Amino acid sequence: MLSRSYFWLVTALSIPAFLWLVPTIWMVSLSFQPNDVLARTTSSTALGLVPIPFTADNYAALFAFGQTPMWFLNSVVVALGMTLGVLAVSTTAGFALARLNFPFKAPIVVLCLIGLMVPEQAVFIPLYTMFADLGWHNSYHALILPRMAVPIGVFLMMQFFKAIPKDIEEAARLEGVSWLQIFWHVMLPLARPAMMTLAILTFLYAWNDYLWPLVSAQQRDYFTITLGLASIQSNFAQSEGLGRVMASGVIASLPVVILFLIFQRYVVQAMTAGGSKG
Amino acid sequence: MASKRSPLSRLSQAQSAALLLLPFLATYALFLVYPFFRGVWISLHDWNLLEVAFNPDAKEFVGARNYVRVMWGRGIEWSAWARPGLQLFALAGLVLAAILHATRRIGRGPAIGLAAAALLLFVVAGIHAGEEGRWYDRRFWPTVGNTILFVALTVPGVTISALVLAAAMNRETRAMSVLRTLFFLSQVLSVTVVTLIWQIMFSPRQGLVANITELTGGSPVNWLTDERFAMAAIVIPTIWWSLGIAMILFLAGLQDISRDLYEAGALDHATGAKAFWYITLPNLKRTITVVIVLQIILHFQVFGQSHLMTQGGPNDETQVLVRYIYQTAFRDSELGRASAMAVFLFLIIGAFSVVQFLVGREKD
Repeated sequence: MLSRSYFWLVTALSIPAFLWLVPTIWMVSLSFQPNDVLARTTSSTALGLVPIPFTADNYAALFAFGQTPMWFLNSVVVALGMTLGVLAVSTTAGFALARLNFPFKAPIVVLCLIGLMVPEQAVFIPLYTMFADLGWHNSYHALILPRMAVPIGVFLMMQFFKAIPKDIEEAARLEGVSWLQIFWHVMLPLARPAMMTLAILTFLYAWNDYLWPLVSAQQRDYFTITLGLASIQSNFAQSEGLGRVMASGVIASLPVVILFLIFQRYVVQAMTAGGSKG
Repeated sequence: MASKRSPLSRLSQAQSAALLLLPFLATYALFLVYPFFRGVWISLHDWNLLEVAFNPDAKEFVGARNYVRVMWGRGIEWSAWARPGLQLFALAGLVLAAILHATRRIGRGPAIGLAAAALLLFVVAGIHAGEEGRWYDRRFWPTVGNTILFVALTVPGVTISALVLAAAMNRETRAMSVLRTLFFLSQVLSVTVVTLIWQIMFSPRQGLVANITELTGGSPVNWLTDERFAMAAIVIPTIWWSLGIAMILFLAGLQDISRDLYEAGALDHATGAKAFWYITLPNLKRTITVVIVLQIILHFQVFGQSHLMTQGGPNDETQVLVRYIYQTAFRDSELGRASAMAVFLFLIIGAFSVVQFLVGREKD
């Protein structure tokens, strides 16, 4: 059905699609231009959207000095730690709520459901005082733990486990396999796609979260890349040069963009699941 | 497997469940349920961050005083013409709800919801400080107003453009999938990358927007510090950033509309824009509601764009609720007042979450 109207539709859509991409292209292009040129003009070639004159110095400088590499590593540690933590508590609890019978099950589900309504912004002050009392600020676990309490992952896993046919576990039960073994040997292997979706949802959240790291990590050594980028963008022009700040922005975006391009289907699923349920 | 009898394998169903639920319920209780109630408790105290940090007894129970200090004032009055524009708009909403229900365009539930919202707006908009009176906190309600304005500009912007794009791209071809990827890409960036890009896009000296303005013979404006443009300067990047989710949700909704409907419509000469209006829109009502409620929840919590791009300025024009909470707590150290505002935020988000839950359940 590749008619002429279809051809025109694609052409017409290409224009807004290109415009949508312009801000990102502009960031990448500026990151590859020399700072002394950028100080004079940002529109050297094609309004600055093509990096001529070209240089890779901004990236070299980024890795030679400055804290960007360390912030990047912090983000990696926090994002991976949070992802593993959320997967661990969500798969176990999701399985229990979906497949097992036990007293007070319904009230527990309702209690978790209510938790979906509480936004991060409504609890960040008491969390701050709690973590301050414990002396936990400026640490990886302070950045990781609060997200593990958000029930969204439990509901994602619960819905997935509910959809698995009963006979699979009944066969195993007849052979005397324990519930924990069913969870580990039967259910978890089946749950890989759902775990993948949840992992990506959590990783993206961890990588991009701004408010809680801003409150909890006051020492620059514990900044995530998202927070570090915020701290250098207020005075970029004077201190580090526009090109270098843009290079930091590119480095900060690289992992999530690569993740998106490789696992596009899961990312879209994750963001719609995360978006439509909390 | 049954032969290897470890103590773990002898657990009953309920014991297994308890063991599996424990890690989550423990973190949930410690880091969400307890902080939530502690937040309410803090909001009932005169609680200075620094003083209490040094001396835990330096807080004082004050009951609802923080709420009064934040939300009320002296000599507050109500009248039906305090804000004529807004209140007429609310009355129009009330009439609209009645008409739509009478002509059976909308069901009873949505009609009551719309009417209640309109009535609430009419009442709330009528509250004002009398001639002798004044608000205890002059910044709170304007901040809430800015947040609502931000939501009111962003949500329709995202919804309408995402809907049109999704309808245009609802075909499983290579080109369409590439185009969808391009529109979705900005969604995965962090708020600080988004603000970094757009701060420089809008810069009057170095920005792409200024460069284009100059090229076309105009004189560049300072988007971020000009009262007329500052709100637009944080709304535009937000639309750019969050179009993707809405678009994907619409595409999923469009997949559920039967092809037969369009073929039947084509027989009645309903194609293109006509088909969109008479077939697509009515069948997408639920998805549209979901997307709108979702966006309201999401954008009411705006913080980064305002904090990093305009610092709430100029003249508090872009000061938003979460930023005010953040500043009250961590710059002014007034944890009690900040927590009262956080409870207010929770009530609003909670109300919309309930709506979202009810709409989401309709399908099943």
